[in-house]
Amino acid sequence: MNEDLIIFLSVLATAGRVLGLVLLSIVTGWFLSYGAIKGKIFENIFISISEVFESVPVISFFPVVLILFITRIGGPLGVELAADFLVFTAVVWNIWIAEYQAFKTIPREMVEVGENYRLGFFSILRNIYIPFSIPRIVANLFPSVSDGFFYITVSEVFTIGVTTFQTFGIGTEMQALIAAGNTNGIILAFVFLAFVIMVIIFFLRSFSKHAVAKYTVDTDTPVIRRGRFSFKNTTRRLSSTAATPFTRLSKYYRRRNPSVKNEMFEPERSGVNYSRYILATIGLVILAIILYSSTLLVLSVSDGEWSRLLALTPQIIIGLLYDYSRVAVVIAVTFVISITLGYYLAINSRAESVGVPLIQVLTAFPAPVYFPFVYVAFYPDFHAVFGPLTSEFFVIALAFISTFYYLFYSFWMGVKAMPSEYQELMKNLNMGFFSKMRRVIIPSTFPYLIAGISSTINSTWGGLMIGEYWPSIYGSRTLQVSNGLMRFIDINTRSGNLGAAAWASFVFGIVVVVFSIFFTRRMMDLARKRYVAEEGVFAA
Amino acid sequence: MRNPANLVGGVGSGQPISLLESVSIHFSYENGYKVFENINISVGQDKFVGIVGPSGIGKSTLLRIMGGFLAPDSGATYLMGKKITKPTPKVVFVHQSIITFPWMTALENVMLSPRSMKVPQSEAEIVAMKALEDVGLQGFEELYPKEMSGGMRQRVAIARALAANPMVLLMDEPFSHLDELTAEGLRQDIYNILFRVDTPLKGVVLVSHNLTEVLELADEIYILNNIPATVVGKLVVDIPRPRSIRNPKFSEYLDFLYTKLSPPGGKKNE
Repeated sequence: MNEDLIIFLSVLATAGRVLGLVLLSIVTGWFLSYGAIKGKIFENIFISISEVFESVPVISFFPVVLILFITRIGGPLGVELAADFLVFTAVVWNIWIAEYQAFKTIPREMVEVGENYRLGFFSILRNIYIPFSIPRIVANLFPSVSDGFFYITVSEVFTIGVTTFQTFGIGTEMQALIAAGNTNGIILAFVFLAFVIMVIIFFLRSFSKHAVAKYTVDTDTPVIRRGRFSFKNTTRRLSSTAATPFTRLSKYYRRRNPSVKNEMFEPERSGVNYSRYILATIGLVILAIILYSSTLLVLSVSDGEWSRLLALTPQIIIGLLYDYSRVAVVIAVTFVISITLGYYLAINSRAESVGVPLIQVLTAFPAPVYFPFVYVAFYPDFHAVFGPLTSEFFVIALAFISTFYYLFYSFWMGVKAMPSEYQELMKNLNMGFFSKMRRVIIPSTFPYLIAGISSTINSTWGGLMIGEYWPSIYGSRTLQVSNGLMRFIDINTRSGNLGAAAWASFVFGIVVVVFSIFFTRRMMDLARKRYVAEEGVFAA
Repeated sequence: MRNPANLVGGVGSGQPISLLESVSIHFSYENGYKVFENINISVGQDKFVGIVGPSGIGKSTLLRIMGGFLAPDSGATYLMGKKITKPTPKVVFVHQSIITFPWMTALENVMLSPRSMKVPQSEAEIVAMKALEDVGLQGFEELYPKEMSGGMRQRVAIARALAANPMVLLMDEPFSHLDELTAEGLRQDIYNILFRVDTPLKGVVLVSHNLTEVLELADEIYILNNIPATVVGKLVVDIPRPRSIRNPKFSEYLDFLYTKLSPPGGKKNE
């Protein structure tokens, strides 16, 4: 077959996987979320699992995936399912939580209308719940698609021991092209990939506008353009049509509801509700399966193996400390860029109209595909600057590229969602940049910042996983750092030592969940309690 | 209907320099829809000026133009003869939605004004305490907005505006989100709060669709109507304070305003 066609088809296959899995996440989320609002037990299980998995970085699923799909199922189907599962876990949690939040906050009056007309299950879902959830889904689509592309390209081809598993897609194809030194093919792959990603982003942006125009039910305060004021955006009359739809969309982006009140929920019904029992049973069965599998896994490991794994734990912890330091650097750099560039774009609509789509395309462009070329091209220059820390620099750079958009989008959307009167007030008082940031903007975007930082931390691990040990990044060159948990997992996975990799992932998962409970959640609680800007605007 | 002696058909001229003056304001939307045509408004020293007009006529937009938040197509606004090109703390805008910051106490909310003008912390605190006292919120300094009623929050917003030491206050329907009892209480206080001798405040512009409220407070009322909006009348309210709606003149003025505010029949936009 024509090589150009193969490259193009491989791009389509990758894009198809990402979009298909995003779609699968959306559809499954509707049913699960509906189940969650109908049955308390199911809700508790579903939300607990989702929240834990959402805080566990995707890459910690890697060894589990390998065990499940490669060794148990095997063959091309196993490899395909492994790749799909990894991408699914990258995109699904955001979307499920967004749908659940939408279903939980649907105005009671809307539900009552459905009940009034005795709409059936599919009818009430199709006519009320699903449309209501669309803005929240759309608001979460951009980072989900970016994440999907990031992981798909590295999930399509991976090595365990001496065996390389691969499935058809641009990730696999690109590796083959690099191995063959086919420069024309590489350039063509980039061009095709850029084209397809641009088409997808264009489609998503168009759909966002449509979704905002059609599905938002909020009553808006006047939307006023930040920065240089223009009459068009500062009038109530045109607020709903003239303002960028992303301003309105921002209200839905990863917003955690400040303790959703009972009256917002589906009202309790009297009498026997069989669906509740069915849902509770389903939830308990899922929980039982997870517990059973975990027990089997633990029992299948011999005592000797346990001793060996426990002996590795200090090394794992030290690696984790190294990696948290890298994460801290990534967060610091991302934060600075977000509150400068993100703010500039949010207040300057002309720059925003160019800058945001550009960033959306760039972030959806999978870093693992182009990073080897960046590495080779700029290694000598950066080596001259960073010396022995050059590899460290590249690893952090890859982690940054792979993750900065979470915090960037979060902050940008937080600024867009700020009450427009705040902007006017800051202008009125002639506040300087730092004063604005410290007193108004950072506090009022605090919930968004925390959500963004949390997601950025989770995603940084993906970049570190790829970068900390990347053999044959280009030709015979290997990118690696001296220490790090991700390197540990990488090396053990590649050498076929899945037990050690799985144990490291488990320890890592525990630390991440503890971090989430003691830091992220507390910060989110603080944000909910004190930093909800809308609460400062009375009867807007 | 009889035309009271102090009702003027248009904006007067030949008067001394105004505190705040908008001259020949023309303004239209990007799609060509003309909002204002030749609007002239003058706020004299120590005057409380009201602007009334039908819903959607552009009253809030006009206030934003007067505050420098929006640039008109042509015309300009002058503060003591100096053109306003951007928002300034000398002309402070009080929003229709009551704007406070939920992460700041009442005191911190009010301190925002002096602090943003580089006033030292301790001095800013004194200014803010004084402003809160002026609006009747002494003893509530440490409360967060969430812990306050709508009326108290609006007082915080007004205190913050006063703490900026403005010369002019632009108030966009400041009582519209309050219940009638609270609004009435605040209205009764507001004139005295705003024109205390120890404040540099020299003028207030109030936009409202509540005619009784405007008549109760304003010294002069500009009436907007037509499409595009123009000033169709100016009313000098000659009723001693405190004003009572039972005063015959009050009803007379009210009737006049209603007459002037009949549905617009001006030129149509293309």
